[in-house]
Amino acid sequence: MQQIGKQQLSILIIIFLIGSTPLFELGIKAKQDAWIAMALAAAAGLLLSAMYLHIQKRAPKAGLAELYKIHFGRVLGGAAGLLNACWFAYESMRNVRDVGELTTTALLTLTPKWIVMLLILLAAAYTVSKGLEVFVRVAQIFFPIVAVSYALILLLLIITGLPDLHQLRPVLENGFLPVLQTAFPDLVSFPFGQMVVMLVFWKYVGETNKVSRVTYWSQAGVSVFLIVMNIVVMSVLGPELSAISALPLLEVVQLIQLANFMERLDVIVTLLLFIGLYVKMTTLYMAAVFTVNAVTGTAYRHWVMPVGLLIYASSFLEKNNTYHMWIGLDITLKVVPLFQVALPALMLVVGIRKKYKAG
Amino acid sequence: MNKQDAKALTKLSPSLHANVQAIRTRFGGSSDLIVRLFRSDAAPDRELAIAYVDGIVNADTINESVMEPLMSLRLPEYMQRRGGKLLDALRSCVVSVGAVKEISTLEEALQYMADGLCLIMADGAASALTAEVCGGNQRAVTIPQTQTVIRGPQYGFVEDIRTNISLIRRIIRSPNLHVQIHKIGKQTNSNVAVLYLHGIVDEGILKEVYRRLADIDIDGVLESGYIEEFIQDETFTLFPTLLNTERPDTVAAALLEGRVAVMVDGTPIALMAPTNFFTFFQSPEDFYQRYDIATFVRIIRYVSFVLSMLLPALYIAVTTYHQEMLPTTLLISLAAQREGIPFPGLIEALLMEMTFEVLREAGLRMPRAIGPAISIVGALVLGQSAVQAGIVSAGMVIVVSFTAISNFVMPELNMAATSRIIRFALMLMAGMLGFFGIFISVLFLIVHLTSLRSFGVPYMSPLAPGPKMQGVWRDVFVRLPWWAIVLRPMDLNLRNPKRRPSGRKPPAQRHSDKP
Repeated sequence: MQQIGKQQLSILIIIFLIGSTPLFELGIKAKQDAWIAMALAAAAGLLLSAMYLHIQKRAPKAGLAELYKIHFGRVLGGAAGLLNACWFAYESMRNVRDVGELTTTALLTLTPKWIVMLLILLAAAYTVSKGLEVFVRVAQIFFPIVAVSYALILLLLIITGLPDLHQLRPVLENGFLPVLQTAFPDLVSFPFGQMVVMLVFWKYVGETNKVSRVTYWSQAGVSVFLIVMNIVVMSVLGPELSAISALPLLEVVQLIQLANFMERLDVIVTLLLFIGLYVKMTTLYMAAVFTVNAVTGTAYRHWVMPVGLLIYASSFLEKNNTYHMWIGLDITLKVVPLFQVALPALMLVVGIRKKYKAG
Repeated sequence: MNKQDAKALTKLSPSLHANVQAIRTRFGGSSDLIVRLFRSDAAPDRELAIAYVDGIVNADTINESVMEPLMSLRLPEYMQRRGGKLLDALRSCVVSVGAVKEISTLEEALQYMADGLCLIMADGAASALTAEVCGGNQRAVTIPQTQTVIRGPQYGFVEDIRTNISLIRRIIRSPNLHVQIHKIGKQTNSNVAVLYLHGIVDEGILKEVYRRLADIDIDGVLESGYIEEFIQDETFTLFPTLLNTERPDTVAAALLEGRVAVMVDGTPIALMAPTNFFTFFQSPEDFYQRYDIATFVRIIRYVSFVLSMLLPALYIAVTTYHQEMLPTTLLISLAAQREGIPFPGLIEALLMEMTFEVLREAGLRMPRAIGPAISIVGALVLGQSAVQAGIVSAGMVIVVSFTAISNFVMPELNMAATSRIIRFALMLMAGMLGFFGIFISVLFLIVHLTSLRSFGVPYMSPLAPGPKMQGVWRDVFVRLPWWAIVLRPMDLNLRNPKRRPSGRKPPAQRHSDKP
């Protein structure tokens, strides 16, 4: 069986949660208090992770589908597993579509979307077919690139003195309510609630007893980083500009000009964007395949292509980018809590009275 | 040999003439087969014979150590009395060659003769003696042709495997250096030697090497490349998973690091496994010259490897799709150059790259005497004139030339060849999809690289998966001073991961300030 180390788990969590999040100014509905909303959502995200980890502890060598089966029985659990796999595939599809939209609007205006999405999905399918071990290694290779890029951006921003913390004032201008409304459920569902996908992968970690600690620390670290990036973007652009910009971090980086040389850093942002989207897409794709595989009990490799095809086909269902955004921001957010909160909470409750074999 | 054992073996007959006849028949009456029948004082009543293949034996040794003693010596009395054991007597008292062995089957006899041994037979004995008299013409040990260093040993392997093993033995003077010779190739019966340092090598990997070598079933092995393709982990990859070298010091260093070396008779190129991606960026000279210089050069190598793959693709992508990436002045200058160029960037680049590949291959194959012609044709006609004729832009020539040069920085030629092929794929992707195409291709490359293994060792270790021990980093991207490189570089379950005790910086030389 495949096995990953605790360091690899940590990197997977970090790079998955970062994804493409810092490029967007999440929680902009709360205006200059976006970072407070982020902080609240991050705290809630840690609580969610605590719940997931608690469920995982009952059967450390069970994946998401097995956990469903343990708690809800074979049929109901299997159905829940399949449903969840569909959701993973759907979330993966959203990233595929994101790549398609961003590439055709920003980089290659004349290239058809289908080829862009096909290629990135092929890369993801290739990774998925190679298995989890290879994927976490790919994440390990990306990690220094991502870390250095963000560090460089932050460093250059500090040198150029662009961030202006006054942009964050007045704090809580409209009271606490808008902040709460932004944090719940939007920011909890994305990105922090996506930690539910780790229920699929935790069982592959060799050092079972270290899983919780590594997860908490990694998630806490990422949360702090995301909040910092949120503050940075807000303090450079201000609430109004951040709200209308499609990729706020790109705008921020375009402002950096140093010694007539460090100017066109857009490449770094584009690279970060692609890496983030690729990692998210592949993680979710892989989670979908793992779950289907666990529910049906058929060979893993048979499911790589069908799930991939499903993702590819469904990525054409949305007519245009506006539609894509609307579904993402309105419809999806209403469905997501089912998988992130409701089903795990149900498992938690159902499982309280059960006895578990140590395994 | 196992397969031959399975077949019925022919016993040697007690009749000398029958044996000689059998050997002649089996060699098909080859004219370089020498069989000499004679009688000697050693055993006046019985006829003797020696047989060997001319040219692969040392004639002097045969004359001095086999023929002369056989012809002139008289056996001591007590030996004569033992009658039937004539061959025993000859072995212990007469033949003065180092390695003498008694054999009893015709097949063995033929095999040893083909290997360059001399056969000694006596009438009335149903067995024969073989004497090691290997020789014949061999190339002398000279400077390595492909992997040159400025500082370091200046000798390379030759075609003879015995010489090659002796070169290693002369560096590692230890009984822990174990050598196992296998015969591979049904027709060529080539000697393939496995070398390792007992006590350092990982037993599992050693077993795997043996297993894969035993699985090889081929008629002939002419070069270590044959073996490489049989024992590598993955066939459908552009990346080499075995190191090769013609330098004894490189093999010795690999053995000290816990690798296994495989040498093949008939070629100066030895194989080493397992390996990882980063080993291909290490030159033996890295370890001979100062560590700071070595680190600098090593970083240069990584950069030029990436450039030799990516530079033409980046140039195509920027000039075709992402002009806004360039500083304005450079953009204007490039656009001015490209004015009047009839082809799109991709075609222009492919044209120049193909031209260079042809030049390179021609330079390799053409007779030495017309070598200078290629530089004239290459440099003047294809470089300058192509620009003046308006077929390619000057910028493109610069890019292609730099790419070509940076490819030669690689110390391992097979990794350099890999980057040449990948370059073309990247150029195509860049021509079709710009930066996005390059990103996707590199993504595929990274996933592919991380999925590779060399004898079970992940190819991208210690980068991914991370090292088991942090000290491994001291000899990957940088080369720290020797006293700091405590661990053997490979992230294996080596029996003996430490090459020296840690934390022993040599004391600085104290200058005596006081007179």
